[in-house]
Amino acid sequence: MTETVEPILRVEGLRKTYGEGHTQVVAVDAADMTVDEGEFVALLGPSGSGKTTLISMIGGLLAPTRGTVSLGPADVTAMSSKDLTRFRAGQVGFVFQTANLVPFLTARENLLYVASLVRTPKKDAHQRADQLLEELGLADRAGNLPEQLSGGERQRVAIGRALMNDPDLVLVDEPTAALDTAMGRSVVQLLRREIKSRGKTGIMVTHDLRMVEYTDRVFEILDGVLTHVETPSALEH
Amino acid sequence: MLALREIQRGGGRFAAVVGALALIVFLVLVLGALADGLFYGATGAVRSTTATAYLTSSDAAGSLIRSRLDESDVAGASSVPGVTSAGPVGVLLTGGNGPQGALDLAVFGIEPGAAGTPTTLVAGRLPEAGEDGVAAVDTRLEDKGVEIGSTISVGDVSATVVGLVSDVSYQLQPTAWTSVATWRQMRDAVRPELRGQPTAVNAIALTTDGTVSATALTAAVPGTTYLTADETALAIPGVKQQRSTLNSIIYTTLAVAALVVALFFALLVLEKRELFAALKALGSSTGRLGRGVILQAVVASALGIILGAVLARLFGLVIPAQVPALFRTETLLTITAFTLVAGVVGALFSLRRIAKIDPATAIGGVL
Repeated sequence: MTETVEPILRVEGLRKTYGEGHTQVVAVDAADMTVDEGEFVALLGPSGSGKTTLISMIGGLLAPTRGTVSLGPADVTAMSSKDLTRFRAGQVGFVFQTANLVPFLTARENLLYVASLVRTPKKDAHQRADQLLEELGLADRAGNLPEQLSGGERQRVAIGRALMNDPDLVLVDEPTAALDTAMGRSVVQLLRREIKSRGKTGIMVTHDLRMVEYTDRVFEILDGVLTHVETPSALEH
Repeated sequence: MLALREIQRGGGRFAAVVGALALIVFLVLVLGALADGLFYGATGAVRSTTATAYLTSSDAAGSLIRSRLDESDVAGASSVPGVTSAGPVGVLLTGGNGPQGALDLAVFGIEPGAAGTPTTLVAGRLPEAGEDGVAAVDTRLEDKGVEIGSTISVGDVSATVVGLVSDVSYQLQPTAWTSVATWRQMRDAVRPELRGQPTAVNAIALTTDGTVSATALTAAVPGTTYLTADETALAIPGVKQQRSTLNSIIYTTLAVAALVVALFFALLVLEKRELFAALKALGSSTGRLGRGVILQAVVASALGIILGAVLARLFGLVIPAQVPALFRTETLLTITAFTLVAGVVGALFSLRRIAKIDPATAIGGVL
């Protein structure tokens, strides 16, 4: 393993409950988690385990019942909703299950749109979008609308969009859900390469053990309880 | 970027709302043209003269045709401070004859040069002071073959046409402007019951400056009512009613336009919930998404207005000449402004929906 650097993401005592009294559901209970800068970790768990809730709180989409999330010096859990919007635009990159691209914008425009959210100067944005599309092997698809792209290509555009604003943290939600195995592997490989080459920190939510081999460390969540698993292979029996 | 690209590439659905708005704008503009046509056709004779106000008998409710005054009242009125000119006005709604046969006519007897003289001469000249047996006629009579030099007659009294004046219809009838004496002969020819009233006129036209006092005037000429020319136009029987009826149809239709836009964008936002949730997760604010929807509403309304205006104008070309339709730029501008406002108001209803979309729903979901 590489030398450990300062953890960039700290999750401390994070808890999320829904409902009140005896109908109360604990979605995430007292989760602690630190991720170092430059790490690409997996968050593994079956459906209903709380992994979606956890990643939503880390990404500033959902307010926890208790506990804190901090990214670098910023306390995400203390932010106003306005600050959270700005935080998500500038410091977090999201890759969703289905690419969720804007259907009436071309691949390149989808990248430029998120750049406009943080007021990137046009020239810089164009340059960066072209460079990302080139790296993702989409240079000749830049002018195509999402409906003209394959599922894998769309997910690659979504990766480009997540990296467009040079975020500190990339959150990836089941990126292979809508893809076949081979396509899924190549997308996750690409994701790892892009995150690693930029020194970004990434968390990938998945229920697919086969995708774990591309990550540095694995966290497992079951019924809201988060545990750190030493190596991905430990899960493979 | 987002909002305009969607219109550009979203194709059919925006065409549908633009089409619906165009039809509404077309309908409203045609109704507006009819309302204007009726109003201008009914009131020209009151608006297009040197008179800034009228005195009518108190029992006439401001209507020239119902009013009865005496020519001697002119002297009383002109002595009031602030009155720069006063002149008698005689009105006769009747049938007459022109070169091609029967004419509908409103004959106005005036004192040329005094208050009440038409200001919209387009050809020839007006009758001169003291000149009887001549008339300046409404340009609308040109359709009936009347031109300068023609003779028109009412009963057995005839007058030679010496000039043409425009925008002077009275209660939608074309007018003829002649001396009080010739008007009175024509009146006596077709209304035998009014013979023997050699000094009766309908009203007194006044040219006034800002200092005139209505009380002083009605004190100087007892039994009269003072109304400005604009008020006199609205006092013409039916004018106010036509106006308010057509205006309420117009504003109801514009409210429908707001409803159409509101429904359209409500559906559009509903359909794009997932996308908006993802965009919010990516850091787009409710305000930004809302501004996009409002921009789309403005663009859709503007396109609808342009298309509707073109349709209305084309319709104006094929509308029969007897239909009093008048397409005025002021009305177009008013309706444009109201339609844009209706579009924006309609789109505003979507903002609450956009605000309620939770960005957290962008994560998870499928599995």
